[in-house]
Amino acid sequence: MDSFEPKIVAFCCNWCSYAGADLAGTSRMQYPPNIRIIRVMCSGRVNPSFVLKALSVGADGVLVLGCHPGDCHYLTGNYRARRRMAIAKKFLEYMGVEPERIQVGWCSASEGSRFAELVGEVTDNLRQLSPNRMFND
Amino acid sequence: MTKELENKLREEVRNLLEKGKVDRVIGYGAGSLRFAATPLIISDKADVDRLIINPFIHNNLSVFLPDVSGKVAIVAKECDARSIISLVQNKQIPRENVYIIGVPCSGIIDLGKVEKLTGLDRDEIDDISWQGDKVTIASAGGAKEFTAQEVLADSCLGCDAGGFREFDLVIGEMKPVAADKELIRKRIKDMEAMSPAERWEFWKNEFSRCIRCYACRQICPVCFCDRCFVEETEPQWISPLPRWQDNLIFQAVRMMHVAGRCTDCGECERACPVNIPLGILTGKMEDIVEELFEYRAGMDKDAPPLMAAYQPEEAEDLIR
Ligand code: SF4
Ligand code: SF4
Ligand code: FES
Repeated sequence: MDSFEPKIVAFCCNWCSYAGADLAGTSRMQYPPNIRIIRVMCSGRVNPSFVLKALSVGADGVLVLGCHPGDCHYLTGNYRARRRMAIAKKFLEYMGVEPERIQVGWCSASEGSRFAELVGEVTDNLRQLSPNRMFND
Repeated sequence: MTKELENKLREEVRNLLEKGKVDRVIGYGAGSLRFAATPLIISDKADVDRLIINPFIHNNLSVFLPDVSGKVAIVAKECDARSIISLVQNKQIPRENVYIIGVPCSGIIDLGKVEKLTGLDRDEIDDISWQGDKVTIASAGGAKEFTAQEVLADSCLGCDAGGFREFDLVIGEMKPVAADKELIRKRIKDMEAMSPAERWEFWKNEFSRCIRCYACRQICPVCFCDRCFVEETEPQWISPLPRWQDNLIFQAVRMMHVAGRCTDCGECERACPVNIPLGILTGKMEDIVEELFEYRAGMDKDAPPLMAAYQPEEAEDLIR
């Protein structure tokens, strides 16, 4: 299969993962330009509807990033996100969404390089799939 | 047998109303269609004899609870009773306002299956009687016998009743249902055996028929929101037009909303006018919730709602 350039929507929490992305940028680290970041205050803000909405308007994959467990700025937002997203991932996989299309991860403000790696990995994963045509008629 | 139960129920309900222990009773009355039972809410003891119990009482009456004021007694099969506790867990009703009358249930007969098996319309059937594990259907053309499993509702075939401890009263003795879990699990297993693309195709196909009547949501006891996301306009999550894409997103999101509240009672599938097999989704969601978080909705009134709790370490294998 010809590889393609996936479009990825990333929801990054303000306090860790968005800062991690910032650090990756200010440190001039290279990572694939496939990602479009949407900043949210906390990973706990991410409603599974965001994921479906992104996929339905043409994102090839969605990445939800939050602070590491125990580090959430609001203490427990990422724990709640973990329950919600684990269910979303498993359930949507059962409905036919390839698991690679929904990714969740933790990344701290000091982990610029981890951010770059994560984006690299997710992009590579998605390149193995075909473009998202799930919602096409 | 069901006559005995009916009499016992009426006696207990009369008592409750007379003593002023409850203001209202939610139970079943005779429906307008043959054999069918319909929800009945009474507050006057003169109406007590309108209450019935038979093998067709499929409605999960807990859906009415948040809207009925005062102290309420409710007739509940074990599956329905779990929905009641789920409502308590989610702070939709105070436990002390509800008096749960458990009815021993051997399963509900699916009249659709009876019609299909006999080739008769329900109006042409004179009698349906159930002894042991045989169900006899009598009509002008003679009597036909089926096994209970052939005519039981799908959700009853998957019944995992037993172990529920929240009844305030049980009329009669609880008995196991002639369940056939393998048969009903097969729907989920077959789905799991497909590739993601095949599964998506399957649901795309199913949801192409959805007319977005929202019967599934309305009948669902744990779809209790005053304002559902589908009616929100800022942002508008899905178009109100019944395109398959929006239909599918509606149902997927609904399922995620009821995760940890849904007890897989089967009412949404029964309510769906176009026969979308929603039970394959609710059943799987129950499995996912149990596998990931060892959680079963509606079993323990003191357990926090699934989404209001967490363990410091869980589901990490799904996270990068
Ligand atoms: S009951 Fe069936 S047709 Fe109606 S909205 Fe639900 S899935 Fe669609
Ligand atoms: S679908 Fe979701 S928002 Fe709508 S009533 Fe059910 S739980 Fe509430
Ligand atoms: S603020 Fe980062 S996950 Fe809550």
